[in-house]
Amino acid sequence: MNDAPLRTRLRLYRMMYLIRRTEELLMAEYHPADEMRCPMHFCVGQEAMPAALAPVVRRDDVLMSHYRSHGYYLAKGAPLDAMVAEFYGKNTGANSGVAGSMELGSHDHNFYSGAIVGGSLFIPLGAAFSQKYRGVDDISISVIGDGVFDEGITYEVFNLAALHRLPLLIICENNKYAAHTAIERRQAVTLLAERAKAFGLPIDKLDGNDAELLLATVERLVPQIRVGKGPHFIEIETYRFCGHVGPGTDEGAGYRTADEVERWKARDPVVALRKKLDVVPPAELEQLEREVDAEVHGAIAKAKRADFADIRAIIANNWAGEYAAVVDRFTSGTVPLFQAGQSEARPGPF
Amino acid sequence: MLSRDTTLVASSAQGTTRLSFAQAINAALRQALELDPGVFVYGIGADGPAGIFGTTAGLVEKFGPKRVFDTPIAEAGLSALAAGAASNGLRPVLVHQRLDFMLYSVDQVVNWMAPWRFMSGGRAKMPVTIRAIIGKGWGQGPQHTKSLHAWFAHVPGLQVVMPGSPADAKGLLLSSVMSDDPTLFIEGRSLFSMQEDVPDAPYFIRLGEALVRRSGHDVTLVTMGSMIPLSLQAADTLATSTISAEVVDIRCLMPLDVESIIASVRKTGRLVVAEPGWRMYGAAAEIIATVAEALGRDMRSRPRRVTWPQSAVPTGSRLEEQFYPTSEDIVAACRASVTEDLTEE
Repeated sequence: MNDAPLRTRLRLYRMMYLIRRTEELLMAEYHPADEMRCPMHFCVGQEAMPAALAPVVRRDDVLMSHYRSHGYYLAKGAPLDAMVAEFYGKNTGANSGVAGSMELGSHDHNFYSGAIVGGSLFIPLGAAFSQKYRGVDDISISVIGDGVFDEGITYEVFNLAALHRLPLLIICENNKYAAHTAIERRQAVTLLAERAKAFGLPIDKLDGNDAELLLATVERLVPQIRVGKGPHFIEIETYRFCGHVGPGTDEGAGYRTADEVERWKARDPVVALRKKLDVVPPAELEQLEREVDAEVHGAIAKAKRADFADIRAIIANNWAGEYAAVVDRFTSGTVPLFQAGQSEARPGPF
Repeated sequence: MLSRDTTLVASSAQGTTRLSFAQAINAALRQALELDPGVFVYGIGADGPAGIFGTTAGLVEKFGPKRVFDTPIAEAGLSALAAGAASNGLRPVLVHQRLDFMLYSVDQVVNWMAPWRFMSGGRAKMPVTIRAIIGKGWGQGPQHTKSLHAWFAHVPGLQVVMPGSPADAKGLLLSSVMSDDPTLFIEGRSLFSMQEDVPDAPYFIRLGEALVRRSGHDVTLVTMGSMIPLSLQAADTLATSTISAEVVDIRCLMPLDVESIIASVRKTGRLVVAEPGWRMYGAAAEIIATVAEALGRDMRSRPRRVTWPQSAVPTGSRLEEQFYPTSEDIVAACRASVTEDLTEE
């Protein structure tokens, strides 16, 4: 077990398995208990990309994903307990119970997500601007879905990222469906990366279920972005095994065939990577899996026991009501009042 | 930190210079850029020779293109950039030459900037300042004149500031830029040439603190933004017929200085609100409701409001003249308020 590539592969597998089991165990708890009262978008089948980012992102890097966010939250190193507590709406949640699954974030870990489609481009765009402005080698990563290509704002963000050569990595998980609508029904031309390229972003198009390929790619790209090579766009082809929202499968929703789902399940990224770990003694893998299961069960139990926040404290969070420290340098005094009797201008022409 | 007794924070020992409203905005930006290296100013034409009606003139020469720059015509994307930069330690100042143009960015402002701190469970800051200019006069028409101050003030998490004089513009803009909350700073273009003695040193006006611009005892005239000069003219006119109006400039719609408004109406028993915007669901409606809830039967006359008609703004100059309320309209509302006496009924 001193083999470095094997250790890397094991770490990758552990993260993928953690994401998969977190989703599965939460799905099992969701109904009929109904204690997690927030719409939840599970990422079963899409674990490879977040797991591949985990070893390359640093705490000061910014990572923002779409609402199918649980995997990226964990990949950013944010705590599992706080995520699960957030789904339960508890005070110990990552957002004190106000965000639920859809706006899940961990501000201490520079991880954000949100419900509005395309929003996961916004904060990384500006954060990348800030990172370049401040001259640091942190980067920002935006994870979007193919649905974001339906939105107009996307092209403004591509243009600004390229124009300012920002340290921004945009990853598009193309899973073919925006909610229940296939990409062919939404877009006359379904090429995605090519559109990013037209704005001046270098692109990669990759198999989104090959975790090791994704890891190798981000290990190559991220250091380049850190040293100022400008933004980059990755499109990955992947698939969600679960339904769009909630713990179901969307079977009977009529927008995809059972055959299609089965074809993709045959390419299960977690199963594929586990097969590549056949040199590891089975007992060792099972031990790892038992540990992860215990972590997730523990997080659920803790979340159930935790308290809700006080609504008064929550409402008080809308405004900071504070100012930059520089304001304190200036002392009190008075200024003369505006002289009455002046007329408004009739400005123009302009 | 700015407290209630430090209304205007400036050293009176230092000098003043007579500046126009536009020059006062320019002075505030210059000092904000000097005080904090994280401040940057951008928008369409921000580094151009005209300098957005003079408000950004000369800034790029002094602070360079990294901190003062022109942009694509992409209000939504530029607002996304502001949100992200503010979440990551900077203090962006985004300028829209017309408020109407920023409506592409309602998603960024309302869905992202406004609830950012709330969604974080009180952990995050969102120190964005958006300057939005309202056209009025010389045929600006339906898509250059909207003043959606009340719209935005409705949204939790936003601050909405509407200065009515050059000295206030400077102090309020400096406070907006240094505030940790997202702030929409609405400037009436018709005020830009007005003059006032403005302190040279940086100073900060606590957001949410009204200014009693003129003391009086017969009627409280609550007003804001481009209605300030009209209201002061109206108060002059009223004084000639021995009606003493107290002119309360709210300065900010959000936070709103409810305390100062109620204190004034408690004294006068009468309320007129002059608002540069549409009549229904507006700031005047909110202020009147708040005062009515607090004072109820202690009012000596019914509250009144002077606003724009509930109509889009016409372009043609004769039409425009008839559209906007005048100081005579404010005078008439105040006279009616003073004439009526509910306590006699």
